[in-house]
Amino acid sequence: MNLAIQIAIGGLLQGAVFAVIALGFSLVFRVTGVINLAQGAFCVLGALLMYTFQVALGWPVLAAALAASLGTGIFGLALGAATFVPALPRLPPSSMLVMTAGLLTLIEGLLLVFWSSQPYALPPFSGEAPVLIGEIRVPTQGFWIAGIAASIIAALLFLIQRTNLGMALRACAENRMAARLMGIDVPRMTLLSFGLAALIAGISGIAVAPITSLEFDTGRFFTNFGFISVAIGGMGSFLGSVFGGLFLGVAEQVAAGYVSSLFANALALALLLAVLLWRPNGLFPVGPARRTDVRDEQRVYRAILRIEGKGGLVFGIFAVALLLALPWLLPGRSILNSLVITGILYIAVLGLDVLMGLAGQVSLGQAGFMAIGGYTASILAVTYGVSPLLGTLAGMALSLVSALALSSVTLRLRGHYLALATLAFGLLVDSLTVGMTDTTGGPSGLAGIPSFAVSGFIFSSPLSMYYLVAGIIVVLVLLLLGGMRSSFGRALKTVRTDPIAAAALGVNVVRIKLAAVLISAALGSLSGSLYAFYFHFLSPEMVGTPRSFEMIAMLVAGGEGTLIGPILGVALLTLLPTVFQPFALYKTFAEGALLVICFLWLRDGMFGALAALVTRIFRRKPPPGAVPYLAGETGKIKGRAHD
Amino acid sequence: MTETALEIKNLWKSFGGVKAISDVSLSVPQGSLTAVIGPNGAGKTTLFNLVTNLYPADEGEVKFYGESILGLGPGEIAARGLIRTFQTARIFPGMSALENALAGAHMHAKSAAWRQMLWLPGARREERALAAKADALLELVGLEPFRNMAATDLPMGGQKLLEVVRALMAGPRLLLLDEPAAGLNDAETADLAELLRAVRDSGITVIVVEHNMSLVMGVADRVIVLDAGKSVAAGTPREMQRDKRVIAAYVGEEA
Repeated sequence: MNLAIQIAIGGLLQGAVFAVIALGFSLVFRVTGVINLAQGAFCVLGALLMYTFQVALGWPVLAAALAASLGTGIFGLALGAATFVPALPRLPPSSMLVMTAGLLTLIEGLLLVFWSSQPYALPPFSGEAPVLIGEIRVPTQGFWIAGIAASIIAALLFLIQRTNLGMALRACAENRMAARLMGIDVPRMTLLSFGLAALIAGISGIAVAPITSLEFDTGRFFTNFGFISVAIGGMGSFLGSVFGGLFLGVAEQVAAGYVSSLFANALALALLLAVLLWRPNGLFPVGPARRTDVRDEQRVYRAILRIEGKGGLVFGIFAVALLLALPWLLPGRSILNSLVITGILYIAVLGLDVLMGLAGQVSLGQAGFMAIGGYTASILAVTYGVSPLLGTLAGMALSLVSALALSSVTLRLRGHYLALATLAFGLLVDSLTVGMTDTTGGPSGLAGIPSFAVSGFIFSSPLSMYYLVAGIIVVLVLLLLGGMRSSFGRALKTVRTDPIAAAALGVNVVRIKLAAVLISAALGSLSGSLYAFYFHFLSPEMVGTPRSFEMIAMLVAGGEGTLIGPILGVALLTLLPTVFQPFALYKTFAEGALLVICFLWLRDGMFGALAALVTRIFRRKPPPGAVPYLAGETGKIKGRAHD
Repeated sequence: MTETALEIKNLWKSFGGVKAISDVSLSVPQGSLTAVIGPNGAGKTTLFNLVTNLYPADEGEVKFYGESILGLGPGEIAARGLIRTFQTARIFPGMSALENALAGAHMHAKSAAWRQMLWLPGARREERALAAKADALLELVGLEPFRNMAATDLPMGGQKLLEVVRALMAGPRLLLLDEPAAGLNDAETADLAELLRAVRDSGITVIVVEHNMSLVMGVADRVIVLDAGKSVAAGTPREMQRDKRVIAAYVGEEA
């Protein structure tokens, strides 16, 4: 009985933190309609600032806590003003979500640079001795956490429901245009909600730091569980957020206490997928149903990149020649190594491009398929002596089955819930690869994986592997380019921007989405298998959720929806740390910054910029008769003249 | 007597307490160009949305060439040859004008995706044939010089025409156009009227929801008037212009 109470208290404390983060999510979501994935990173920022002030500089607790909270809030305001606010009117919500994933990575990168990668713990505010209530031991920090969380919740509810400022914030949520017409400074409200959410995340981080060990990348954990809490509760619902957070905290502690801590995450994620399947809008849905024949304002600014006539052939031959010659143009063992890795990752990113860039389905779990492919092929090869080729195919088969199972949830979902479900899938795979220590080797990884081989030929040297990967890439790109210039490719694009209009033209939206999901899963799996065979080793973090985020950064930096472009993004983020060693420390920061910069100023990525440059140089003359379209010029219709 | 393309019997739909469509019955003969008119909020667009099953109807019957289509998915409705456009021109952003037109032909691309992926000659030929058809239609409406332009860069008139072209590429038997002239100037409207006549003369039945009276009176064979969710009157444009119920619907009852 005491154990049960102990677990429940632990769960509520954990849950209180989730609840506060979920509140931050809801606050920003209510005002902007965007889920801000950077939320968790503000928690860690608050805690690490607190560490510096309190432990390193020896300030008193209260002064350090105030300075750390304010510091986080101010940093949040500055970051929001520089990125989030200017991006909001330009980007569709799904891109905003991915951009905030970039912000998360960016902040983590900063934390890594300033605080390096060691774990930090703070001393509890009121000493180490726990309080005894009967026979139950409660750490004193627990009271602080509960008190702080309750105060934040109360203060936020008061602000939103009872003050003029709260009314202005709510007005932005109801109708941004109308709010603007009523004289409300919408960008300012957006910034305010963003900064306020950062502030409360910082405070909750400071409160929870004494009982949790924090590192630069713990923010992901908070983001993930805050996101899950808010989805269980219903996005935008404050009451739902609090409930979702507490529920998730207790559920997780109960699973950890009675089943196994390794599967506590898996259970929480399974719970989430079940909730999404049962009630796709959370338990406390907010917001009215919308008229579906009138399209929501679409913000898809994507230039149309095309190479005319024979240009494509010339470009293709040039690209293949370059691919073949690259190991000689850029000599050096470490560079060759990076080139192979670039190629292998590009295969997974290519799959992601079909799904995200072309079909417009946000996926935060692509690395999950890499893990399935990698582990299946490796385990089959190491434990059962199955040939690498067969193992790779088996991995792809398993990935396709998993993708189908995942689709039973995701095909019903849109926008944020879709992103969340794919994130949950990736995290689920993460916790399985870590938890199933007997088969996967757990966190320490799986060693002794053989080289890839096809009917006796062993691809043991990096150079042979390079040409294998290059060959696969050429075939895949040709297949996909062929598919894209057909009705299938067009259907993918129509589903991306306007599924309702697409369906009215006879496009089977579900089938097209499913095809995109399966292609991306298969390519992710293939990439994962090759990755394992190349390194002869596989560990969960090589194919974990941070890898999913990294691949999104690569995709966006290269140029979404262009198929060829993403290889530039992959190459940049893979080759730079090799060529320029000191860069390794800044890699995380650069990934995040690159993603944000591309979303703000380089919408079509590096490939788009390159294509624009080429077009400018070789500008074709406008076709004869191509007068600018004059609105209302009569006699244009050469049908049956009515005379 | 010509065949009936679309027949609606005793259709009902309410949103909360609002009766958007109450007991509407109408029939549209094959080969006609019918206009559905009525003041704002009369239920014209809702009627379209019920026919194409964007919303489920509460009660009633919708028959397309004698077969009930109520409750069918949008894909199945499109496959039977009933194609609609939307009140706001819903052309696909990020695609060129030609690609938009070709997207309409989705149902008519018979080659499997894998054949396209392998660049097989048969699949390429089919693709070229579809492109030729799209080019011919773009030529007809004067959009051919802009085929490679981003469709969203076209002015509103061009986008509206493009949406009609896209719908035509789907090879409709019945074309439902939701306010095709909204946002067009007089000259563009005249172009549109010509296009609609050409479409009708090619044997496609057309139903237009429209506010623009000069367009309706100029091209429609038959006019159906909706007011407050009820079908008030039906007849030739000339009859409707003089009908007291129609005038009452638009300018209010005389005291």
